[in-house]
Amino acid sequence: MKSETTFQSTTMAPPVESPVHEPPVDRPAGRPRSNIGLVRPDGRGFLVDWLTTVDHKKIGIMYFVFAMGFFLVGGIEALLIRAQLAVAENNLVSPQTYNQLFTMHGTTMIFLAVMPLSSAFFNLLIPLQIGARDVAFPRLNAFSLWTFVAGAVIINLSWFFQAAEALGWFGVAGGHTDMVPAVGWFGYAPLTMTEYSGIGTDFWIFGLQVLGIASIAAALNFIVTIINFRAPGMKMMRLPVFTWMTLITSLLIIFAFPPITVALGQVMFDRFFGTSFFNVEGGGQPILWQHLFWIFGHPEVYILILPAMGIISEILPTFSRKPLFGYSLVVFSGAVIGFLGFAVWSHHMFTTGLGKVATAAFSLLTMAIAVPTGVKIFNWIGTLWGGRIKFSVPMVLALGFIFMFMMGGFSGIMHSSAPADAQQQDSYFVVAHFHYVLIGGSILAILAGTYFWLPKFTGRMWYGSLGYWMSGLVLVGFNLTFFPMHFLGLIGMPRRTHSYLEGTGWQPLNIVCTIGAFLLAFGILLFLIDLIRTVRKGPPAGNDPWDGRTLEWSIPSPPPVYNFAKTPVVKARDALWADKHGSSRQKLGGVESGSHGIHMPSNSWMPLVASAGLLLVGVSMALKQAGVPFCGYLAIGGLVITTVGIYLWALEGPGGYHLHPRPNEGGARS
Amino acid sequence: MNVRSVVLRWIPSVLTLLLLAGCNFNARQSYLDPKGIIAERQFDLFMVTVWVTAGIFVAVGGALAWTIWRYRERRGQEGDAIPSQSHGNPVVEIGLIVVSVGLLVVIAVPTLREIWFTHDMPKDDEVSVLASWYEGETATGAEEEVLTIKATGWQWWFAFEYPQLGIVTGNEFAIPAGKTVRVELRGGDVIHSFWVPKIAGKVDMIPGRNNWMWIRTDEPGYYYGQCAEFCGEAHAYMQFRVQVLPEEEFEQWVAERQRPPSPPAGEDWDEFIQLALNEPQSLPDKPAVLGAKLFFGKGACLQCHAIDGTIAQGLAGPNLTYVGDNGSIAAGWMEHAGMDGKIDPEQQYENLYEWIRRSEEIKPGNKMYDVPGGLKDVDLTDEDVGHLAAFLMTLKSEDDEPRELALFR
Repeated sequence: MKSETTFQSTTMAPPVESPVHEPPVDRPAGRPRSNIGLVRPDGRGFLVDWLTTVDHKKIGIMYFVFAMGFFLVGGIEALLIRAQLAVAENNLVSPQTYNQLFTMHGTTMIFLAVMPLSSAFFNLLIPLQIGARDVAFPRLNAFSLWTFVAGAVIINLSWFFQAAEALGWFGVAGGHTDMVPAVGWFGYAPLTMTEYSGIGTDFWIFGLQVLGIASIAAALNFIVTIINFRAPGMKMMRLPVFTWMTLITSLLIIFAFPPITVALGQVMFDRFFGTSFFNVEGGGQPILWQHLFWIFGHPEVYILILPAMGIISEILPTFSRKPLFGYSLVVFSGAVIGFLGFAVWSHHMFTTGLGKVATAAFSLLTMAIAVPTGVKIFNWIGTLWGGRIKFSVPMVLALGFIFMFMMGGFSGIMHSSAPADAQQQDSYFVVAHFHYVLIGGSILAILAGTYFWLPKFTGRMWYGSLGYWMSGLVLVGFNLTFFPMHFLGLIGMPRRTHSYLEGTGWQPLNIVCTIGAFLLAFGILLFLIDLIRTVRKGPPAGNDPWDGRTLEWSIPSPPPVYNFAKTPVVKARDALWADKHGSSRQKLGGVESGSHGIHMPSNSWMPLVASAGLLLVGVSMALKQAGVPFCGYLAIGGLVITTVGIYLWALEGPGGYHLHPRPNEGGARS
Repeated sequence: MNVRSVVLRWIPSVLTLLLLAGCNFNARQSYLDPKGIIAERQFDLFMVTVWVTAGIFVAVGGALAWTIWRYRERRGQEGDAIPSQSHGNPVVEIGLIVVSVGLLVVIAVPTLREIWFTHDMPKDDEVSVLASWYEGETATGAEEEVLTIKATGWQWWFAFEYPQLGIVTGNEFAIPAGKTVRVELRGGDVIHSFWVPKIAGKVDMIPGRNNWMWIRTDEPGYYYGQCAEFCGEAHAYMQFRVQVLPEEEFEQWVAERQRPPSPPAGEDWDEFIQLALNEPQSLPDKPAVLGAKLFFGKGACLQCHAIDGTIAQGLAGPNLTYVGDNGSIAAGWMEHAGMDGKIDPEQQYENLYEWIRRSEEIKPGNKMYDVPGGLKDVDLTDEDVGHLAAFLMTLKSEDDEPRELALFR
């Protein structure tokens, strides 16, 4: 059924007779108007263009920049944590500040750094890897971005209110004075009830709720895009593995976020309207929160790691000059991980008294999930086997990823054994474990992916040996920070503790961890320096610097706004590699866009407006809890703004103009 | 390449050195040095997982490292033809899956065994029921039960109650060596977790749930425990201690605890209170007496704390009946006993003094200071605080040598 109609699918709204459907032109004509007569913000200045863009590449870049910013914020929080723990009985920060730091560190790194960094890669790559013009719903995509920013701002604004409180400019009417979330990133009830925590918890609830909207919108968008927008011949089993992992991750998101949405809603009701979902005196059950949280929280782990596995599965074949070993098994095991990921949540709760049978069941299921994970590692080794391995920076990081991820996986197997886990749960052993998965896994893959695709999206190639120094420093600093934490856990140090007594014997290893953390931070600094200097003055990269395998390498770097001048017609898996090195029957085909050219949608303010409304809702609700007058009305106002934004968005239509790429202006090879 | 040699040669050796220098595997909260039956079984199981995964790591990691080395691009190879394009090998792939499953079974079998072992009270436990060893009185019907302790976590301290024996303690408690003990775990306000690494892995104390665990250790000693579930501002400062006593000493301990401690003056507490109320001048002018008057009077300590056998019956804070015997104060954060459990009286006095004087700095957010009517609202002089500390030190068992020291003039 796939045909050359791909481009027309971007105009999914009812056909509209608007001035923009003029005879084809090369660039936007004047000021296009939307269906309802509003002027569309096309062809404006730099700032307006980025604020209103619906281009997946620009949105991806903004995801990357915002997420990197929050990654730095989370990193600074981590360094403060490590500085506090460097010596026993330290008082560098107060216990309350410490609790806020680790809560915000976890929340920031998971929701504001790793997830949006993955989203950045989804945005930048998916349309290019499947040979599409853009994602299915470009304005929804912009809405996801700005809603993510809104959620991130809601959570982090709490720091400013805390500062204002410290300076005496702001206070709460009764109750707790903590204004930054301090309940841990999994916010166990009843600590989140008003008796035990201040408005920080409200910032956290509403921030997460808004972030959930962003994630679900983005996930639906990518599912629709991947299913429907594939170029002709791009069968499901020809999809690049990164695209597959994006699809599975997106499916995980739409199933995992509803439970947390419900649970956050219940906490909100308990806090604002006096219900008793988690209040024992009122007949509630705190344990309910843990089930609802972890049935989201465990798939979330795979939401964080599957895109990383996808990135690695692109890099290893490229730099081994071999196809991925056991493609179908890698894809299938990704799907199995995604499926089993929903069946293991209670392994986070082995110490809550689940009873024998439940404990045994979740123990065994958790062990089972190690099998598809192991399959991926075996297949990566199979990919390297017999290849010709080129130690480019992305490859060095990808190989580091496999080793580090294996370590994280093995400590994960140790946790699956419930009785042994009773000693490890909530100790530094767990902290070591999940940082091996999240830094050694996700972050290393994101760094690798950045070095891999940076030439494509900036048109410039990184240069010199800084990338190698960065990789070495990150790997060394990371291991120095987190490997000793296994032992800290084994000798009894619980996580989330502000300080520890001299007599515990935890001092020597803690100082090692702290030194490692600063080395790791220095490595990240080198990464940013290398990134910036490449963007500023890297040499031209060319279209295909790595002898790449997938469609994104077939177009110019940076990609033109319309992506592909001709819709590629795919004849094989690893479409571009097959085109270059395969048989004559595997050459890429190309479908011309026809006489009307390539349709480009207009920019739109509406996604930004709808997101801004959500920002207002979140901040107002937190301030309402603090007793600030009229905030309830402001929150309602925010909902009205969001509703109006979405309504106008629905009415304004896609708008747009048509482009005619000149011959040889890039696009599918033919 | 420079970076590679750094990574390959230096890092592992430096790491190993640091680990050897930094690891004391028998640290006091280390579970690598198990003393209780459950902790031992959990440790053995942990070691099974360690050996299996270390084996896989060596095999797979070694294969990976060898592959990377063997198939690296050599100088001058850049322009060569592309390597053979193998897409997979079903036999290898399925074979590896089968091997993985087999290795997981090696972990799964003992895991299941230990789940049942730790969750069920031991069956061969006639020796542990109270009737078989405990000589004193117990609550009706308790003879055929094992010793049961109800442990409740509060922000940020632990209450330990012996319903069969009529004892309540705060933050430190005792169990007999060699006997199975059942611990009922309750969350008083938020979720806490009960963890004595050397005796057993943790079980959570969750409001609204009746969790329990059994523990047994044959080795008498002073054990360190800590709350292991984040429970709010002073979570790090919520610790506790377990004294494991030989059977006879435990019985002695129980017998003492069932009597109130002696008052600092007078025959019994009733008399002391009467005198303090009606003829305060007749009481001797020593620090402990003055401290006691503050405890029941101006200090308002009795609002939250209990001393059994007296009018102090507060429940909001730890029971202080024999607080002078505790090796620590402030829920384990301020220590005056070494790992042998022996108390250093000078340190004890200093800790008590500091704790009452500066509790907000030592443990920010603690509810002794920061509640309406708490210490922030009570105007105690430094001298008052010294007297209170002196009084609390007298709340101890009789047979130790007197701790009414030269410390206070």
